[in-house]
Amino acid sequence: MSGTRRLRLVGGTIHDPANDIDGEVRDVCIENGRVVDSLPDGAPELDVRGMIVMPGGVDMHSHLASSSCNHARRLLPEEHSIEPVSAPVLEDDVLSRSGTGGTVPSTFTTGYRYAGLGYTTVFDAAVAPVMARHSHAELDDTPCIDGGFFALMGNDEYLLRQIASGERERARDYAAWLLGATGGYAIKIVNPGGIEAWKSGQRNLSGVDDTLTRHGVTPRAILETLTDAANQLRLPHPVHIHCNNLGLPGNAAVTLATMQALAGRRAHFTHVQFHSYGGPPWSSAAVPVIEYVNAHTEVSIDVGQVMFGPAATITADGPVEYLLHKSTGRKWVNIDIELETGCGIVPFVYKDKAAVSALQWAIGLELFLLSDDPWRVVLSTDHPNGGSFLSYPALIQLLMDRGLRDERLKQINPKLLAGSALADGLTREYTLNEIAIISRAGPARLLGLKQKGHLGPGADADVTVYSRDPDIARMFATPRYVIKGGALVVEEGQLRRAPRGSRLHVRPGYDDALLPDLRTYFESYSTVAFENYPVQDIPDEPQELSP
Amino acid sequence: MTDELVEHVTCLGCGCGCDDIAVSVREGRIVEISPSCTVSKAWFGDGILPWNVLRGGQPSDLDGAVSEAARILAGARGRVLVYIGADLAVQAQRMALGAADLLGATVDTGTSDTAAGGLLAAQRRGRATATLGEVRNRGDVLLFWGTDARRYPRFHSRYALEPIGIQVPGGRNGRFVIATHVGPDQGPEPADASLTLEPDQEIAALSLMRAAVLGRPAVGALGPLTEALELVPHLLGARYAVLIHDAEPTSIARNPLRVEGLIALTQALNGPTRAALLSLRAGGNQTGAESALTWQTGFPISVDFSRGYPRYVPEDRGLDRLKAGALNAALVLGSCSFDQAASTALGRIDSIAIGPRASQLGFPTRVAIDTGVAGIHDGGVGYRMDEVPLPLRPPLQTRRSTLETLGALTRAIKSFRLPA
Repeated sequence: MSGTRRLRLVGGTIHDPANDIDGEVRDVCIENGRVVDSLPDGAPELDVRGMIVMPGGVDMHSHLASSSCNHARRLLPEEHSIEPVSAPVLEDDVLSRSGTGGTVPSTFTTGYRYAGLGYTTVFDAAVAPVMARHSHAELDDTPCIDGGFFALMGNDEYLLRQIASGERERARDYAAWLLGATGGYAIKIVNPGGIEAWKSGQRNLSGVDDTLTRHGVTPRAILETLTDAANQLRLPHPVHIHCNNLGLPGNAAVTLATMQALAGRRAHFTHVQFHSYGGPPWSSAAVPVIEYVNAHTEVSIDVGQVMFGPAATITADGPVEYLLHKSTGRKWVNIDIELETGCGIVPFVYKDKAAVSALQWAIGLELFLLSDDPWRVVLSTDHPNGGSFLSYPALIQLLMDRGLRDERLKQINPKLLAGSALADGLTREYTLNEIAIISRAGPARLLGLKQKGHLGPGADADVTVYSRDPDIARMFATPRYVIKGGALVVEEGQLRRAPRGSRLHVRPGYDDALLPDLRTYFESYSTVAFENYPVQDIPDEPQELSP
Repeated sequence: MTDELVEHVTCLGCGCGCDDIAVSVREGRIVEISPSCTVSKAWFGDGILPWNVLRGGQPSDLDGAVSEAARILAGARGRVLVYIGADLAVQAQRMALGAADLLGATVDTGTSDTAAGGLLAAQRRGRATATLGEVRNRGDVLLFWGTDARRYPRFHSRYALEPIGIQVPGGRNGRFVIATHVGPDQGPEPADASLTLEPDQEIAALSLMRAAVLGRPAVGALGPLTEALELVPHLLGARYAVLIHDAEPTSIARNPLRVEGLIALTQALNGPTRAALLSLRAGGNQTGAESALTWQTGFPISVDFSRGYPRYVPEDRGLDRLKAGALNAALVLGSCSFDQAASTALGRIDSIAIGPRASQLGFPTRVAIDTGVAGIHDGGVGYRMDEVPLPLRPPLQTRRSTLETLGALTRAIKSFRLPA
């Protein structure tokens, strides 16, 4: 098949929920990297009769290509030493690369593993703007996937100053400039105001109406400003929010307060499992959170499921990592970054016999199983925070198989599960079509990627083909074929090609009147010249903005 | 003749990565840089380089030299040293790692001679640090631990002592500066407080200071270490303390536990206040090499690909294996300086040199190809000491880019059918 520009996938069972196709036997026609209506007779064919065909997976919230990830890699040589990865034998002309695994694999290995899992589009969810060049370099070395990143803005000094002085339009223009300058795809908020509090001596903020003393700004004002900016700029993905108080008992109150503060505005809330805790003492507050999400169509979430086993917690949320370091005694990295954001890293293990880990596991599943609309509840483990992306197949199995889930539930620490909906019994089992929604069609739609997450004419020819297997985890872990941009990347379960992916980024417009003031700010406080800040030579054209 | 002025040039002379340099060029030669310091003057020089292509010491065409180099390296697969120098952009360093992977090579860098101890300590403990912008804008108590300002001439004016910062609007007057002198490693003068330690006292001093920060008072007579404890209230009184040490070697053999002690003290300070440890790093793009090694292999230094995957071998670094006679060929990239034993060993095996001044290395080479210096002739990205990546705006035109030459070499190596 190598080098062919046309390919007909013959006779597969198609799950393409964006086009209302749920398990129909059809052909999928590919020409020049896109899905087309039909192909002439005699076009090359791939027999996928009896197999399950879905669009390529879309991971909207991962940590795979950032300076923070690289600090985590550097912190964990012990993980890499025990999981060496040889270079795959490839049939195309690109240089095949060896690497290492662990919770934060090396870049080439990350690309190969995502492709081997049937994922073809992945976003890094937290990049410090000043480190954008680094993320582009890592993405350049992460083959097989189309990729991009979200730029961290919720604690940026210049932005906070604009909010403090009531200059919300200038704040919006700055957000637009920053996305264009860094080659980012979306606006990310992490612990609004809380990281600046951590760096400036206030330690943290805990509620949406707490005040950042130095600026006189509240998380509410930051959230409103950046949410409106994303929507007014017609960014393809709305603002992507990591709420205050991540990981703390009782934080569901601030999560709900954040959602209510933005009621009526399109917004995405991320790794909501880590923000759905009742108490103290610890308990599940998944029900009120998911009920709010169910009732508000402007809200979407990804879950950030915890999977038992090793993880690396990596976040811009510096203060929470300090607390994790103090409570676990594990080694700890903190990096305060250039008046923009922060970075904290602590390695961690989620144990099924540990009460809080067991509760976290249950809360994630509750969010999935109690959601009314899979289009707005996305599969994620917040890789590698809740677990590796390699655990997605096991998570899918938990969602599709109640018997397995109930068995697993019996084995975990029940101490904090009183009142948990999962412990009380949730009968729902996800269908293949629902899995296709939460792992590709839904995130693609929420990211505004019109050419991703579906198999209609004009879609990117990113396709994953699974051999049917009663073991759902094994089926999703070992796709039979993966096609990326029309190229057969995985054949017979083996990685065969490793093309470079596209860079997904935006370049929204802004009022140039911003620039003189911004230049003055740079000249006063920045250690990087204004002229040197924007990244040059960002690969590929910017994505279209929303209509 | 009018000078051409190239502005916003990044200087890789030391790890400060000052990117405000205006470089005047006349007839292909650098004639002035502004602002300048002793280090930047030495780094840029006049920009005149040799541009030789040599095979066996004789002039050669480029294609022939690249083919010969590839043949030699491919023939030695599994017993090759790839030594990555500092005057390469990170793009060239990444390409070099691809060649090393292909060759089953052992990768070594200058960091093994200099800052490896600090990297290993941070792998054991983690670290609390900050980028230079945070140091400049927040640091109100600065503890210099045996640093020498002459090695980083603009560090004080640009990042630490003097500049007006957002949370230190008074500049130097808003900062409390502590100078710790350890043997001949001297802190800045004048300081607001100072501490003088003999080299054999510093680890005990760091331990006592950390204990005091953690609220565990010392018991018994402390003698000269009492002065170290007297600094602790200043650190605890900081809103944002910055501890600054020199990660590069100085004139004395340094206690390898110094960095670990500083890391532990800084981490402890983050309970009662906020603190960051800043490791001063030398010039070139060594930090970029560490970063690229990490994202491609998981390890920042000393990586051996000879088994077909990256192995971390900081205790068995490439230059040591070279000196022990375990390697048959070497690919030396960039302007590297080696001790006599390493130079002799490189002269004994099949050595290929590619990079700035490759034709002038102090050992015989089978192939030598001169290329441009990152940030002077070659573009790309260089990393500052705090791992912030900066664009390189070369004021001079390159006659042969390191990246393109390494790309041609890698393709040529790949075209050989490599023995397994």
